Amino acid sequence: MPQQIEFRCQIVKRQQPNASFVILTFASPEIASLAMPGQFVNISADKFLRRPIGIMSVDREQGLFSVGIRIQGEGTLNLSVLQPGHYVSLLGPLGHGFKLDNYDRVITVGGGTGVFPLFFVQQYCQEHGIEGIAVCGYRSAAESILTEEFTKTACAVSFASDAGDMTIAGHAGHALAGVIADLIEKKADLSRTLIAACGPKIMMRTAAEQAAAAGISCQVSLEERMACGVGVCLVCVCKTKGSDGEIENSRCCADGPVFDAEAVVW
Amino acid sequence: MVNLGVSIGELKLKNPVIAASGTFGFGREMEKYYDLSNIGGISSKGLTIKPRLGNDVPRVAECDAGMLNSVGLQNPGIEYFIEHELPHMLSYGCVVIANIAGHQFEEYADMAKLLDKTDVDAIELNLSCPNVSSGCMAFGSDASMIRAVTESVKTVTNKPVWVKLTPNVTSVSEMALAAQDGGADAVSLINTLLGMVIDIETRRPVLKNNAGGYSGPGVKPVAVRMVNEVFNSVDIPVIGMGGIMNAADALEFMIAGACAVQVGTANLVIPTACNDIVISMEEWAQNHEVEEISSLTGCLRRW
Repeated sequence: MPQQIEFRCQIVKRQQPNASFVILTFASPEIASLAMPGQFVNISADKFLRRPIGIMSVDREQGLFSVGIRIQGEGTLNLSVLQPGHYVSLLGPLGHGFKLDNYDRVITVGGGTGVFPLFFVQQYCQEHGIEGIAVCGYRSAAESILTEEFTKTACAVSFASDAGDMTIAGHAGHALAGVIADLIEKKADLSRTLIAACGPKIMMRTAAEQAAAAGISCQVSLEERMACGVGVCLVCVCKTKGSDGEIENSRCCADGPVFDAEAVVW
Repeated sequence: MVNLGVSIGELKLKNPVIAASGTFGFGREMEKYYDLSNIGGISSKGLTIKPRLGNDVPRVAECDAGMLNSVGLQNPGIEYFIEHELPHMLSYGCVVIANIAGHQFEEYADMAKLLDKTDVDAIELNLSCPNVSSGCMAFGSDASMIRAVTESVKTVTNKPVWVKLTPNVTSVSEMALAAQDGGADAVSLINTLLGMVIDIETRRPVLKNNAGGYSGPGVKPVAVRMVNEVFNSVDIPVIGMGGIMNAADALEFMIAGACAVQVGTANLVIPTACNDIVISMEEWAQNHEVEEISSLTGCLRRW
């Protein structure tokens, strides 16, 4: 039986927490029921190509899902002005998300728009009895986003900003170091702990290196310029190590966007 | 009742809609979304003798009415294709075309020899990929090379051979005639138009490869004109493509002279595009009392 891929979804809510970000909530029982943390939708944005956007949260009962969008180009600007009631064509849910089920504790490490899909991870952890720790990095307190939601949803949070006006000065990688140090000091069992990172490449690499040093599993969500989102056009490739150690091209959209950090060629 | 069936020489297709090379993989991703036996055919991702990793990213740059790509023929190689992808493709229930691209003259015939032993329905010679540094487009913009490559392939296989033409030439009909002289069973056109998109802030091309192939609705008028010109120049069937997004676009190409069409970039925006076009084409034909879709080929009423 063919699987429906394109949906025309109504926007039911639009929030704009600050000048840089908009959160849109769509009605789609199908996507809300199927989506897993780390997956994305490819949204028609009144431009030729769709815009791939990570899913921020789902309300499976109400059949709703939300995405967070940073306004940074024409496509995202077009999306940011859409109002409730408007219908949008989107493809989804797409890609492979975070694999969370073998872990007792998940530390999300997010920077910039990367915090949106990681909120979905925290939501999932809360619902599935996994201890969630949220580490978020922002440019400044004024540009911070979802801090209240992370505080409510995760078991513990740690916020950093480049401007130095939040708890920790620096990026999420710096905040992660403190979280890992605390866990080691408490002699926590890290064998079933996962670091789930999404954000700027340098931040994810720092997270992956810290994870490796501490013997913690790590998955990262990669991003490349994308077109189809379903794996046919081969434009969004990233270099990964295959099982035999050979360098190969993986498709961010269909093989990822989430990869084991150990497989990523930084 | 509308008959959507078309013939490309001896080869019969249940309808004129073929998924274009490089926009459909080997069908595995798309078969999740609709029954691939609904469409006329699939042209495989461009294949080379050896596996290729392709170009560095970014490989895509959006532009007005379309996009540039510089994938650079990333593919698993002809032998892997024949062993692991072709048998599955042949199970879809539509016509399967192997699209091949050589770096050296001899590679086309070498690949065609391997394909001759398979059940693939046709071979499409990619003489026009703009994204690899050597070969390929160099062959496609030289009429004597087109003729020679086509002849070399026809010598080693009885499969129908289609020659895919580049628009990046002064006279596309000269290239089409060269393909015909070389024994081509059909020509398909157009491949992408060579283009560049520049980021004015960084003053760098968006594509890491600097230039890439422009496709999408923006190229359609260029493609329709070329299809019509070639249709008027050659005696072999013409397969039209370039920016087809819907059934009306496809019909335009048929009226211009195409006996079948290929749908490419539309698949990247609407995964079900080929299927949607077949359905809408049938509706259009019904509403216009067109009994044989093939009767539209070349029915253009020029001024």
